[in-house]
Amino acid sequence: MDIQNRKSILNKERGSSLIKCLGECEIGDELEVIKVDAGGTATQRLATLGIVPGVKIIKSKSAPFNGPVEIIVKGTKIVLGRGLVAKIIVSCNNICMG
Amino acid sequence: MKDCCSHKERKKNQFIGNKINIALAGNPNVGKSVIFNQLTGLSQTIGNWPGKTVEKMEGHLNFLGHNINIVDLPGIYSLSAYSLEEIVSREYIASDEVDLIINVIDATNLERNLFFTFQLLELKIPIVIAVNQMDILRKRNKDINFEMFEQIFKVPVIPVVAVHGVGVYQLLEEAIELIYEHKFNPHKKEHRKKRRTHHHHFKIKHMYPKLELNTSSRELFQFPDLSPLLSFGKEVEEKIQLLEDNIEQNIGDTEKYHYPSRFIALKLLENDREIEKLISKDIHNSEIIKTSKDYRKNLEEYHGEEISTIISSEIYQNINKIIDSILIIDTRKETKKQSITDIIDHLTTHSILGYVILALVLIGIYYFTFIIGDFLGGLVDQLYTYLSTDIDTSTVAGKILWEGAVGGFFGAVGGVLVYVIPFFLLIEILQDSGYLPRAAFLLDKFMHVLGVHGKTIITMILGFGCNVPACAGCRIMETEREKKISIALTSLIPCAATMVVVMGLVGEYLGIGFVGLLFLINFIVIIFVGRILNKTMPGECTELIMEMHEYRKPNTRVIIKQTWVRTREFVFRSLPIIILIGILLEVMYIFSVLESVNIILTPITVFCLGLPAVTGIFLIYGILRKELTFALLEVLAVSIGVGSVSLLLSPIQMFVFSLVTMLYIPCFATIIIIAKQTNWKYALQISLLEITIAIIIGSIVNWGYFLIVNF
Ligand SMILES: Nc1nc2c(ncn2[C@@H]2O[C@H](COP(=O)(O)OP(=O)(O)O)[C@@H](O)[C@H]2O)c(=O)[nH]1
Ligand SMILES: [Mg+2]
Repeated sequence: MDIQNRKSILNKERGSSLIKCLGECEIGDELEVIKVDAGGTATQRLATLGIVPGVKIIKSKSAPFNGPVEIIVKGTKIVLGRGLVAKIIVSCNNICMG
Repeated sequence: MKDCCSHKERKKNQFIGNKINIALAGNPNVGKSVIFNQLTGLSQTIGNWPGKTVEKMEGHLNFLGHNINIVDLPGIYSLSAYSLEEIVSREYIASDEVDLIINVIDATNLERNLFFTFQLLELKIPIVIAVNQMDILRKRNKDINFEMFEQIFKVPVIPVVAVHGVGVYQLLEEAIELIYEHKFNPHKKEHRKKRRTHHHHFKIKHMYPKLELNTSSRELFQFPDLSPLLSFGKEVEEKIQLLEDNIEQNIGDTEKYHYPSRFIALKLLENDREIEKLISKDIHNSEIIKTSKDYRKNLEEYHGEEISTIISSEIYQNINKIIDSILIIDTRKETKKQSITDIIDHLTTHSILGYVILALVLIGIYYFTFIIGDFLGGLVDQLYTYLSTDIDTSTVAGKILWEGAVGGFFGAVGGVLVYVIPFFLLIEILQDSGYLPRAAFLLDKFMHVLGVHGKTIITMILGFGCNVPACAGCRIMETEREKKISIALTSLIPCAATMVVVMGLVGEYLGIGFVGLLFLINFIVIIFVGRILNKTMPGECTELIMEMHEYRKPNTRVIIKQTWVRTREFVFRSLPIIILIGILLEVMYIFSVLESVNIILTPITVFCLGLPAVTGIFLIYGILRKELTFALLEVLAVSIGVGSVSLLLSPIQMFVFSLVTMLYIPCFATIIIIAKQTNWKYALQISLLEITIAIIIGSIVNWGYFLIVNF
């Protein structure tokens, strides 16, 4: 895909929906990853698992006491520590309930 | 090859004896080990990769006259240099030691599994793809178009249901054919279709000649042209091509590095430290590294992302392009109902129930291991006593051999093995069902306090049964720092053998409440040690990234086999050492070295801890096996005629003695494992730290009690 094109699509979506970090989203939200800003190795590992900008994920669980978050990406469940969750920026296209 | 003369002779010569080395590679939890077990049966060895702390599983079999050696590689998601396991796997796959890779992929998760396949293909080695867990995929009303799959990838692709043994020998058949024909022949379609059916007779179709496999079948192998499949987007591809040209001009043949030039170019672009190190051994390569750095900067600026993100995105895009033509989804029948595994998943990760279940699981492991082990241990002890009645131990040699060697053997079997076997069994069940990651999920936050992430809770749970395999399990940690802290914490978990002492003394004479108190102190120590290590070790806590696998019904065959292999490994590794030390201690006893040991230890045992002087030597024995401290106390009580341990030790002494036994040092087998996983220096440091802690806390309890009572 043309890179300029992708950027503009991202920008358009940015205009129409909520940009949050993954930690702020509700359980069950369908999200699109906008940016992963977790530093060298962590970003690389996330990318390996398919967590890259543009990919659709679902936030499926969140551990108590502000613990890790489970997301579904490409059909698999991945658990991410809180520190990482704050570094993943997503856009929420859902009409959020409440 | 000369033709064989007669039919009879030919039959006799069917065993060609060619040695073929195959490695199983793929993501974690795709079924590599099940395939490995199906193929190699019990002829396996668990070792370590040379110089590395990564476990190496190796096995052999004879198939169609070939002597096949199979290595089960650790499960990894990519071939970067992120973890030790990735580096070990990559180096092994690239070396000439392996002739062919069987890439095991999970049919229910093609996208992410193919990501790894794409990376493997860049290494340009013979590869057979095993699409495993077809049973689950078909249950979900999906299927795979294998003809299309082979057409796209130009390598053999075989459907497999590993747990039922379906397709596993077909993999070998394909592998052998690929190695001898030097290329993949997709046109034999009919024949291949037949091969995919379950009822298939394996026979050597051609008498393959005795090849000089030493000259490397890999060199003769004609790797298919996969450039349409593997090429990246315009900008990235351009840079890779430029780098590749650069490498070919400067280095020429990259054979000496074992990696294809394109792979090196790609990895340099990705800022892969290991590959950089490898090629910067030649000084004149520094120019290439500099160029790759410029290219990387260039691309990162252009895309506004990190290079790893750019490259991974493009690989995933390539995968997405082909996945529709491979995966067949029967939409008419697709149903989406909540299955039982979803419910279990929900309960075990629930914010309240999850912790209750976790506690029950922990108590369950301990209880089961303890009950079964205690029962079996009693039987072994009886056997030893029965055998001992007719043995003359009045001579020195007889004493050393019988009480040292045989006693040591029975002690190890009756005191350790009986706990280890039921424990391994439980752990395999827990592991195979997929529960342990849930515990890591629930406790990740808490574990950060100790300087590690949630995965450490997995090894700590294992530690309740036996510290030895639990510390060995710490190899799953991603960084050296994490591994070291995990090992330290795991070695502080009271194992089943320690619980023999605690229950036998404190549980029996002081009541369960004080057992709880001991546990509490132990956990405070664990938190304390975790915090100290977290503060003192350089680096910081890595964040958890963990795949949460679906629950599965544990596979009995797998569990039993795995338990057996682990137990056998334990027996061969640990028993000889325990017996040797048993002999040594017996020798020391005979030459009265032990008395002086007691005297030397008096300042600690008597003064600090307020224990009788004889306990000194018991604590020394306890390093061998923790429950010995208690066992010897009982023996002493009987031999000096007081009958009960309660007359030998006061309640506070019992408490301190149990506390010290819990904390004072990892047992000998654990120390050895720690040394293997890290190094001897660290193993000794941990031991010293734990001894110090035990003495300090023991003294505090002893003197605190003394002061409270007397003033
Ligand atoms: N239903 C089903 N389960 C499988 C199959 N192959 C493996 N498993 C299960 O998948 C899990 C992981 O298998 P394992 O061999 O340990 O994976 P490894 O991490 O790749 O070595 C185990 O619980 C197996 O019982 C299969 O073909 N069908
Ligand atoms: Mg495995």
